[in-house]
Amino acid sequence: MTVIKASNLTKTYNPDKIPVRALRGVDLAIEKGEFTAIVGPSGSGKTTLLNIIGGLDRPTAGEVEVGGKDISQLSDNQLIDFRKDNIGFVFQSYNLIPVLTAKENVEFVMVLQNRPKAERDKRAESLLTAVGIAEKMDKRPSELSGGQQQRVAVARALASKPAFILADEPTANLDSESTAGLLDMMATMNKEENITFVFSTHDQRVIDRARRVVTLVDGKIVSDERR
Amino acid sequence: MLFQIAWRNIWRNKVRSLVVIGSVLIGVWSILFIVAFSSAMVGGYVKNAIQNETSHYQLHHPNFVEDKDVKFNIDNPAAVLAKVSETKSVKAATLRTVVNGMVRSSRGARGIIIRGIDPAQESLVTGFDSKLIEGKYFTEGRKNEIIISQKIAEKLKLKLRKKVVLQFQDLNKDIVAGAFRIVGIYKTGNTIFDESMVAVKRMDLNELMAKEGIAHEVAVLLDKKEDLVPTGNALKVSFPNLLVENYREISPETQLYESQIDISATIFTTIFMLALIFGIINTMLMAVLERNRELGMLMAVGMNKGKVFTMIVLETLLLGIIAAPIGLFLGWATIQYFGGQGIDLGAFSASMEQFGLSTKIYTELSTKYYWSLAISVLITALLGSLYPAWKAIGLRPVEAIRKI
Ligand SMILES: Nc1ncnc2c1ncn2[C@@H]1O[C@H](COP(=O)(O)OP(=O)(O)O)[C@@H](O)[C@H]1O
Ligand SMILES: [Mg+2]
Repeated sequence: MTVIKASNLTKTYNPDKIPVRALRGVDLAIEKGEFTAIVGPSGSGKTTLLNIIGGLDRPTAGEVEVGGKDISQLSDNQLIDFRKDNIGFVFQSYNLIPVLTAKENVEFVMVLQNRPKAERDKRAESLLTAVGIAEKMDKRPSELSGGQQQRVAVARALASKPAFILADEPTANLDSESTAGLLDMMATMNKEENITFVFSTHDQRVIDRARRVVTLVDGKIVSDERR
Repeated sequence: MLFQIAWRNIWRNKVRSLVVIGSVLIGVWSILFIVAFSSAMVGGYVKNAIQNETSHYQLHHPNFVEDKDVKFNIDNPAAVLAKVSETKSVKAATLRTVVNGMVRSSRGARGIIIRGIDPAQESLVTGFDSKLIEGKYFTEGRKNEIIISQKIAEKLKLKLRKKVVLQFQDLNKDIVAGAFRIVGIYKTGNTIFDESMVAVKRMDLNELMAKEGIAHEVAVLLDKKEDLVPTGNALKVSFPNLLVENYREISPETQLYESQIDISATIFTTIFMLALIFGIINTMLMAVLERNRELGMLMAVGMNKGKVFTMIVLETLLLGIIAAPIGLFLGWATIQYFGGQGIDLGAFSASMEQFGLSTKIYTELSTKYYWSLAISVLITALLGSLYPAWKAIGLRPVEAIRKI
C-alpha cells in the first residue's frame, strides 16, 4: 500500500528575486512499513522534500498524495488538522513543549484529537515504555538528555496513530551512542508494529541502518536503493 | 490542557510576568485609592451641602425662587408639611419662613438671609443644633432669640447675649424691625453659607410680619440618597402647585461636583488602561517572538490557529486574573482603612473650608466601581492580547521550524 505519493515535485524559493531551485522534479512513492532514509549533502533539498510531503509547505509544481488524498488543495487550517491526524513529526530539536512533562507532551496530540483521558493515559504510558523511557515520564524536557528528548518526540509522533512518521535529521544533535539507541528503537517499532518511517540524514551510521536509501543531489533523486 | 499550558507558560519568564502582574496590581490599587479619595473629597462636599444647606428636597411657591419676596409663601403650610411627612422615604421635614433683610449691630450692618425655623423639626432635618460652637439652641417660650454664625459675629464684632436688630420688608412692603438676643453661635464649615444666614424662631419672625403661620420653604430630608427620584416624583404629584426641587436643582454646583466624580474616575481609569494595554502588547509580543519555534512546532504537529490564538489570549488574561483581585483587595483594604481613620488635610484646611470641603477625607467607593475596574482590566488584557495572538497565528510553521 502506498502511503505517500509525490509526483514531479518542484520547489523554487524566492521566485521573484534570486530563485533557488530546491527541488527539480522529484517522484517518490513510499510504501507502508518502509524504513526510508533520504540522504544527500547539505542543501540538496532533504528538508524541503520532507516539508512538502508532510504538508508543512506547498510545492511550486507537482502533486502530493497522502493515503490517496491530494493535500495540495487544503487550506492552512485544514492542513493543520490533516497533519494532526495523519502525520507524525520528529524534528532535529525543539520537538517538545518545555512546560509539559514527557507524558503530557505525548498526551498533547491526543488532547488535540479529543481522545478521552483514560485512553490518553494508557497510550502515553505504553508509548513511553516502548521508546524506553518509562521511568522519565514525569520529567520535563529540560531534565532529559538530547537522546531521551528525541525518544519522547518519537512517542509523541506515534501517539496520534499517524500513517507514517517524518523525521528531519532526528539524530543531528545526538552523540553516537544515543544515535544508535534511537535508531534501534525506531527499527524495532518499524519491524514489530509495521510503522512507516521516512527520515533524512547525512550521517553514514544512520544511512547504514536504513532499508531504503533515496539520495538527493541538487534537488533531484540520483539513486533509490532498497536493501 | 490548554489552560494548563497557558498557566505554566506564564511562569517560564517569572521576572517578566511578575513585572506585568506587579504593574497591574499597583495600578489597580492606586487608581482605586485616587478615585476613592477624590470622590470622597467631592462627595463630602455634596453631603455637607445636603446636610447643612439644601436638604434633599425643598418646596417653594413657584415664584419664590426667582424673587424672594415674602408674599410668595406657601398656602396652608401646616397641611403641606403633614402630607410631606407622610410621603414614603421621607425621614424628616420642616417649615421655614425665609426673608432677605439686614442684621444690624452698633458696629455695622449686613445684608442677610433670615431663616425662621421650627427649632425641633429643624434639628431633625439639618441637625442645626449640632452646628453650635458657643451658647445654646433655642429655648421654648423665650422670645426673640437669634443664632448667628461665627463669621458674622467676627464681622459685626458680636458676642453671646448681645442684641442685634433684624430689619426687612413685611407683606405690605413696610419696613419692620425687631431686636433679637444672641443665644448661640454656629459654624457649618461652609464659609459662604455661614456669612449669609442667621436663624430665628419662625414664630418670632412671623409675628414681626404680623402674619401667623406662614412659611416659604419646606425642607425635606430622605432616608437615603438613592430614594431621590421616586420621592421627588411622589412630591410633584402631591403638590402640583408648588415648585419641588432636589439638591442638585437648588445648588447646581453639587450636580457639577457629582458629575466631576464620574468624569475624573473615567479619566484616571482610561489613562491607566491605555498604559496597561501598551504594556501588555509589548510583553506578549516578546513572549510570542521568543517562542517562535515552539509555536511553529505546535502548529506543525496539529495545534490549529484557533487553539494557538486562545492559548496566547488565555496567558494574557491569566496575568490580569492574578493581578486584578490582589490589586482590588489592597485598594479595598486601603479605602476601608482611610474610610475609618480619615486622612487629615490639615495643611490645606483653611482654603478648603471656604468652599465647604471637609478637611478630613473619609475614603469610600461604590461596589459598582470595583466591578467596573475589574472588568476594564480584563477587557484591556483581552484587547492587548489580540495583536500578539494574531501575530502568533500568522507564523508559518515551515519558517519557524527551518531555524531549528
Ligand atoms: N526559505 C528558504 N528561502 C530560500 N532558500 C531556501 C529556503 N529554504 C531552503 N532554501 C534553499 O533550498 C535549498 C535546499 O535546502 P534544504 O531543503 O534545507 O536542504 P537540506 O535539508 O538537504 O540541507 C538550499 O539551497 C537552501 O539554501
Ligand atoms: Mg535540512
